[in-house]
Amino acid sequence: MLRLRFHGRGGQGAKIASRILGTAAFFEGYYAQDFPLYGAERRGAPISAFTRISKEPILERGIIAEPDSVFVLDETLLDDPHAHPLSGLKEHGIVFVNTARSAVELKDTYKISVQVITLDITKISLKMLGKPILSALAGGIAARIVNLGEDSLKKSIEKELSEIITEKEFLLKNKEASQYCFHAIKPIEIKIAKGIHKANPVITVPFETALISSPTIYTTGNTPLRKTGNWRVFKPVWNYDICTKCMVCVVRCPDACISVNEDGYPYTDYDNCKGCMICVEECPVKAIEGMREAHAW
Amino acid sequence: MNITTIKSIKDIPQEENLSPGTPTCAGCGGLLSLRHCLKVLGEKIVVVNAAGCFTLLAVYPFTPFKSSWLYTAMACAPAGAQGIRDALDILIRKGRLDSKENLKVVVLTGDGVAYDIGLASTSGALYRNLDFYYICSDNEAYGNTGFQSSGATPFASKTGTTPIGRISPTGLELSKKNLFEIWRSHTPPYLATISPAHPVDLINKFKKAEQYKGPKLFINLSPCPAGWVTDPSHSAKFARLAVDTGIWALKEAIYGEVKHTVVPKSFKPVEEYLKGQGRFAHLFKPVRQEETLKRIQEMVDQYWDNVCSRESRKR
Repeated sequence: MLRLRFHGRGGQGAKIASRILGTAAFFEGYYAQDFPLYGAERRGAPISAFTRISKEPILERGIIAEPDSVFVLDETLLDDPHAHPLSGLKEHGIVFVNTARSAVELKDTYKISVQVITLDITKISLKMLGKPILSALAGGIAARIVNLGEDSLKKSIEKELSEIITEKEFLLKNKEASQYCFHAIKPIEIKIAKGIHKANPVITVPFETALISSPTIYTTGNTPLRKTGNWRVFKPVWNYDICTKCMVCVVRCPDACISVNEDGYPYTDYDNCKGCMICVEECPVKAIEGMREAHAW
Repeated sequence: MNITTIKSIKDIPQEENLSPGTPTCAGCGGLLSLRHCLKVLGEKIVVVNAAGCFTLLAVYPFTPFKSSWLYTAMACAPAGAQGIRDALDILIRKGRLDSKENLKVVVLTGDGVAYDIGLASTSGALYRNLDFYYICSDNEAYGNTGFQSSGATPFASKTGTTPIGRISPTGLELSKKNLFEIWRSHTPPYLATISPAHPVDLINKFKKAEQYKGPKLFINLSPCPAGWVTDPSHSAKFARLAVDTGIWALKEAIYGEVKHTVVPKSFKPVEEYLKGQGRFAHLFKPVRQEETLKRIQEMVDQYWDNVCSRESRKR
């Protein structure tokens, strides 16, 4: 059985990518299982999705703790303490990372010992779709890495995306982008490790009174520690030559990230700016520009 | 009491009472308004939060507030507020708490709570004349669970429970509840609608509300990029268009007397607001649903015809 895990940010398309892969495998005659996992957090927050592919009926359920291959749709997730995309990866595993950097560079930075494949699919999707939506592209890459055929990928994309995309033209663009990514990666072989099933002892959690079991926060305003800055694809950059200090960007920032310096010019807290780009859109003199984010920190 | 109103966005207080780093979606219109609300309410408040999108604000072990935060189930936020208010009043009366230490009680809910599940307990709190603030962040659906239709969802909107199909090409066939009028019939001292696109108006309304003892209610139309299927950067734009097209009327009611605070000089056609939002995309593609568009425009026109004749009669 092949166990695969996708890591992305809410809204990027990791869930749909896992479905595209599952459906493509199903069309090739395999048994497949795909499902996402996310809490109450949405757009931009780290999420994961899982796909199991097997020649025999799949009796395993639940999240995949030890995947054969991991697909990371956002490089910034690699050092996100909430996401842990590389945890439990098997020895012969393959990691795909969506980044502009090379595999060697990435292995060095994040101390990854297994095989790494990189491709800047955000750039491709911005070029081909006009939006950083990666579901079809990541689906194409995943299908190539697990050695599925091009036809089943096409069929799978048609099936999965026609439910959510009503525009025919956009669907076609998604298909093309997916094909492009499929061919941009060399075919490789994943070595499937033998079963990992271990019997877990059943544990019982004792009942605690509300004083112990309910969490209490005794501090105030500590959310900046969460550093939501790596959620963004674009970051706002100010041009102080044009800026008229009108305060519109400061007032319009939902996250209270924009402050004013001693000279009255606005600046943002890049550690926490989610890159919603309202400031860029609202600036009356167009003094703010959205720049593609290479890496959050 | 003398209330100093502010005139431009440069007069908006600089201090922030809501820290960045909250896990709400990028471009959240509700958060944008809440930030301005808290600027006026200050630090000495207790936030009573009913389940909804704003559940995310304080996820253990993090909190964006400089104040206390109490989390309640969907139906009982005003009841929680009553408990806190009573406790504060009793402690002050018994001299165990200095009256300088008094806190404002602020209820924070979404439209699912305000329009549907929590309407009964809110009505009860209004009836008992509970001294509290109530902020409803209305994104016109149950946004936190996948955008299912609520009592606040407008006519013809596509939601998780009203998908577009051959049988229902228009989406939701019911109209939005008029919560403003439901609340107004209780004649609370202060009741207003606010918009993240008009922060000056918002801040002045909160300043005005401060002078009244009793329920002070606010409904905020919150653009929701995930549910409305809009780009996060367009949140302020759609909030502004809602006011400019007349779909979202900015008004206040003091002891039941309604006054419109922002009236556009000339109304834009509602199409400008509907266009570009994914939840209304089916009205334009693949075929333009003229009938539906006409009906929405008529609903808005009718409302403003009523207002104009009513307010001109007063003069």
